[in-house]
Amino acid sequence: MSGLALAAVGHLAAGRAQMGTSLSFHLFFAVLGVGLPLMMLIAEGMHLRTGDPVWRALARRWSKVFAILFAVGAASGTIISFELGLLWPRFMAFAGGIIGLPFSLEGAAFFLEAIFVGIYLYGWDRLAPRVHWLCGFPIAVASAASAFFIVTANAWMNVPRGFQIVHGRVTHVNVLAAMFNPAWATETAHMVLGAYLATTFGVAAVYAVGMLRGRRDAYHRKAITVALGLAAILAPVQMGVGDLLGRTVAQHQPATLAAIEGVTHTETGAGLNIGGIPLPGHATTVLNVKVPNLLSLLAYDKPNAPVRGLDSFPKADRTPLAGPTRLAFIGMVGIGTGLVLVGLWYWLRRRRGPSPEDRITLLALAAAGPLAFLANELGWLVSEFGRQPWVVYGVFRTSSAITTASGLGATFTGFTLLYIGLSAVTVWGVRRVSTGSPEFLASPIVSVA
Amino acid sequence: MSLPALIAIGLGFVLTAYAILAGADFGAGILDLTSGDRTEQRSAIARTIGPLWEANHVWLIFAITILFSAFPAGFAALGTVLLVPFTLAVMAIVVRGVAFGLRTEAAGDQPRSARSLGRAFGAASVAAPLLFGACAAALAQVSSSPHGPATVSSLPWTGLFAVTVGLLAVALCAHLAATFITHRLQRTGQPGLAERFRRRGLQTATSVLALSVLCLLAAAWKAPALWHQLSTTSLPLLLIGLLATVISLFALARRRYQLARSATMLAAGAIVWGWLIAQSPRLIGTRLTIHAAAATPPALTALAIAGIAVLITVLPAFYLLYALFSHPSPEVTQ
Repeated sequence: MSGLALAAVGHLAAGRAQMGTSLSFHLFFAVLGVGLPLMMLIAEGMHLRTGDPVWRALARRWSKVFAILFAVGAASGTIISFELGLLWPRFMAFAGGIIGLPFSLEGAAFFLEAIFVGIYLYGWDRLAPRVHWLCGFPIAVASAASAFFIVTANAWMNVPRGFQIVHGRVTHVNVLAAMFNPAWATETAHMVLGAYLATTFGVAAVYAVGMLRGRRDAYHRKAITVALGLAAILAPVQMGVGDLLGRTVAQHQPATLAAIEGVTHTETGAGLNIGGIPLPGHATTVLNVKVPNLLSLLAYDKPNAPVRGLDSFPKADRTPLAGPTRLAFIGMVGIGTGLVLVGLWYWLRRRRGPSPEDRITLLALAAAGPLAFLANELGWLVSEFGRQPWVVYGVFRTSSAITTASGLGATFTGFTLLYIGLSAVTVWGVRRVSTGSPEFLASPIVSVA
Repeated sequence: MSLPALIAIGLGFVLTAYAILAGADFGAGILDLTSGDRTEQRSAIARTIGPLWEANHVWLIFAITILFSAFPAGFAALGTVLLVPFTLAVMAIVVRGVAFGLRTEAAGDQPRSARSLGRAFGAASVAAPLLFGACAAALAQVSSSPHGPATVSSLPWTGLFAVTVGLLAVALCAHLAATFITHRLQRTGQPGLAERFRRRGLQTATSVLALSVLCLLAAAWKAPALWHQLSTTSLPLLLIGLLATVISLFALARRRYQLARSATMLAAGAIVWGWLIAQSPRLIGTRLTIHAAAATPPALTALAIAGIAVLITVLPAFYLLYALFSHPSPEVTQ
């Protein structure tokens, strides 16, 4: 019997690992797929306004990189739509009729995006400049809409609404109530802003590395300016949205909040743990600074509101991943705070003089790019780890969702190898289209940013 | 007509669009693989599918979302038995998409990378229709009779009949691509190249006909229940499919390329609908019909409304894409 139980755990673990690998891989491309079109639009729009060829060169370069990332992102997204059925058929049998609508709408948004990507990429020399620019708008709108629709489905998994279960059957389905569940607004805003932030810092990092290698031309300078211009506005907004999302979690996912904030025992007037890193093998957290009453105030607007601790929930309903959830949350918030500071630093320096190009600033920008992507991945881990052991919070357990077909060890191995190969060829392809300044700028041109 | 039936018909059209458009796309990869070192033909293939390839696979995602939104129980049962072949198929789709995208965007001046990317693109383009064809055939084999198994625990997708149909799917994709490319080359004023693809089209049409006959023989021998359906309810579609293939062969022979392309598309559509009608209203096994597997009525209504809204927004955009890139224009480079 114990052998059978172990096989079942291995089966579930393999399925979860495959889904997790697929989603974290796809998230990277999805994030850029949402963010890069906006950057392309801004750069191309600046070219139309100023006539400066550097802007056009940037937009064109980004569109080539986008083409590769879009191809890989479309492919990894297709994998996920398959995996929903292949790995989690019992979850889809339960949820398909409730949250099918946002998935169908996402399909439509993706379709529109793919069509206009075709027009945009192959239309640089076939369309009038202004028409070409306008064809970029549907890409930016549809990619953000795709993210929006998918995240409403994830929000539903966290705060399920719009159905009843009578005698084990799903009834009284209201697809709009399911889609616009209490978490839809905060979760989608947090994701889309996160995608824009990661892209802007990622772009800034690429050109900061270029500058560190001595390519200090108008091309690099303009790229950093436009990226950080967006980032400096969005980063503080993202903190505010994150706070609102925290309140949503506090209200609807008390067990998740306890895991995220590291609250073990129920507290009245709970303090906010800052730091408080859970280390394996340590009974208590390390490096914790507790700000009295702040958690109660942030989560429930009352300094003395009670916050339930993890140990107040039945053991079967607590996330088995409380430590990783907390770590991911600390990482996300820490990086987010750092990004706000980097943005502030850059623009405060710029207000006083020319754009800062000293080593420290460029190194900070170079580090901020990968970290911004990491923050997105961590935020997604908070949502997924924090919801366990549920796939639909309080309703449907992850262990009841996994397929009954065997062979997940093999498919997990196969997909992992595929992702390694995909990553390698993607890096190769992006490097091929994006190394160095464009030819016409390669000779030193003195220009003022 | 009931709502599940209407949505199932919509799903059938989405699958038809996928079979024809993505089929031509797969076929382009198959022709690319068998082009040897004739780079001229290879670039003609790439130019025909270039701007459009990305949009076509979206039909597959549509089919999947319709299936799980409208028929969640059927989707779950299909997902369980198709784990292995669909895992392989989705891997093939990914490999071919990425390999083609990278070859176009990044490998321009590196012949060795371009060659290995091209090979990956071609091999994966064979694998995907082979697997899809085999799975569809196996599904029809176990679901085409009301006296078959109630629930299906494994699909005979590696059986003789399934593999023969898989090969037919590969040949049909290649034929679709050959007629698409010939037609385009003719319209863009490249009669010499068009002539070469015409010859390849004659070969693919002959293969399609031969494999169709083999499939029917295999069905009569290995899948008697399905054979019964094919020779009764699906017979008109079967005949249309065969006739359309013969027409496309003659049209190619007489250099009527537009007719050849239309006839091939009709043949592909007839095969898809012949399959669907042979096993309707069963999704998989005899228990999960489209009615038994359907989601709740409000969910179906929402899906139907969303589907109509999607058509209204997507079709004009799709038309724009085709209109922009299908008319002859000077080849554009950087």
